[in-house]
Amino acid sequence: MKFARFEAVAIAVLFALVGCGPAPIDPSRQVGPNPYLPPIHQYLLPPMHIAKIVGWNGATPSVAAGLRVQAFATGLANPRSLYVLPNGDVLVVESGGPPGPVSRPKELVMNWVLKMAHSRTKPGQRILLFRDTDGDGIPDEKSIFIDHLNSPFGVVLVGSDLYVANTDAVVRYPYTSGQTRITDPGVKLCDLPGGPIDHHWTKSLTASPDGSELYAGVGSNSNVTENGIQAELGRASIWQIDRASGAHREFATGLRNPNGLQFEPQTHTLWAVINERDELGPDLVPDYLTSVQDGGFYGWPYSYYGQHIDPRVQPQRLDLVAKAIAPDYALSSHVAPLGLVFYTGTNLPGHYRGGAFVGEHGSWNRAVMNGYKVIYIPFVDGRPSGPPEDVVTGFLVDGDKARGRPVGLAVDSKGGLLIADDTGSSVWRVSAASP
Amino acid sequence: MLSINPRSTLTLGGRPLHAMLVPIPIVCFVGTLITDIVYWQSGAMLWANISAWLLLVGLIVSLVAAPAGMIDFFGDPRIRELRAAWIHGIGNATALILSIFNCLIHTRDAYTSVVPTGLILSALVVVILLVTGWNGWALVYRHGVGVRQTQRP
Repeated sequence: MKFARFEAVAIAVLFALVGCGPAPIDPSRQVGPNPYLPPIHQYLLPPMHIAKIVGWNGATPSVAAGLRVQAFATGLANPRSLYVLPNGDVLVVESGGPPGPVSRPKELVMNWVLKMAHSRTKPGQRILLFRDTDGDGIPDEKSIFIDHLNSPFGVVLVGSDLYVANTDAVVRYPYTSGQTRITDPGVKLCDLPGGPIDHHWTKSLTASPDGSELYAGVGSNSNVTENGIQAELGRASIWQIDRASGAHREFATGLRNPNGLQFEPQTHTLWAVINERDELGPDLVPDYLTSVQDGGFYGWPYSYYGQHIDPRVQPQRLDLVAKAIAPDYALSSHVAPLGLVFYTGTNLPGHYRGGAFVGEHGSWNRAVMNGYKVIYIPFVDGRPSGPPEDVVTGFLVDGDKARGRPVGLAVDSKGGLLIADDTGSSVWRVSAASP
Repeated sequence: MLSINPRSTLTLGGRPLHAMLVPIPIVCFVGTLITDIVYWQSGAMLWANISAWLLLVGLIVSLVAAPAGMIDFFGDPRIRELRAAWIHGIGNATALILSIFNCLIHTRDAYTSVVPTGLILSALVVVILLVTGWNGWALVYRHGVGVRQTQRP
């Protein structure tokens, strides 16, 4: 404790000297419905605090009491998201984003730094299928389900139609139960905003409970409009796509980078986790979990966390700021939530029923790392109730080395929680310690 | 044969290196002010991006031009006797330090990468360059610094 305080002071002094701004606060002040929002600090030199990727080397993540964790799959090429088919087969999406453009010197540095924060393995750009034939929860068969995709992320099955959200389009494939490989080229349902600039490239995908509509998360094309507002057309929003025609409308906007689109099972409302903006200080802006209202505007780029204006955006749109909705539940700053799943299984202890698991990929622009874990947020009557709990940790060692980084989540047919770990090249399965 | 004029110490083929290089940062920093103003007025990010590149190129060449100038300054005591040399040197050092800060400001995202701090720094640097340029021209064209001449005509 004493050491932690000394460290905090040392970091504060160091950062004051190089102009990196205030020392980070305790993230627990920024979780839940009313996060503390410090004043804006615009950096002279933004912190680039990258966790060195060290890999697992046989180690496993740590889990909360009453749980156990096993490697579900290892040796993967950048697993980013997961989807469980009705017959229990698990789809693992191996994916990576397109290279960022270099339109100013900063991006030369940023691209290099972000490369260090990600897996050195070339992303598979494909979907793998894993099957557990002996019922122990761990797969014993593996096949390449769909190959040669364009930075895929979201997957959803409606009836016999399997939809894959590539970074530039939603593609439909015919699927029959038990199939282990799809060779059909698929049919494009709808274009999504892709390149030439494709800053937030992960397109999360889900279907409405009745299956008539698809919802796709389309992240912004910049941190905060530095690629020009014209690059943001159709972005920072959740699209509602008509499954029959492929026609779309923007269901909700102002969501900087929405991922983990999921319908809450009790109320059937759409929820998502959002990555908020960087470079306003170590504790701005908190990323969040929120229900998504039809027609709702959530601030980006003009304002954050409701109506807090971002001075970096000109011309301002006070008319839009006035309508900006404050999100439901803050997750603290720079944790980078990319996975969300509501737990409807029965395997995990009763404590975990009905709430949401969130996968936090972890920070790279905060002097003290934040995220790098999977948390659980209890829900009552379809709303978050109570503080988040750490469920799966150990992704970070010695404060600044990463064994892995959790991304997409899913619940398998036996009720185990699956976690895609992109830099750890693995998928982890969390289940009850005693069945 | 010793030149009767104050001599440039760092030369390339008999031509002072400092004088060869300084036009590049001067043009870059003047350009930065122009593109900053155009960004401020238009809001088109392209202009702010151009500012960032101009600043970077200006800085890189400055980091060679400045030591070359310092070598000349310390290489011949006759240069250090000139008031214009002191104004030129201290002024340009200030402009260089301000440009380093300006370069960092320009790494911010969108509007505040330029307005107001970046724009103010860009303008200040150009004002300083007018003064240091005036004194620099005096060094060469009035005091003959670096101009090789062994005999008065």
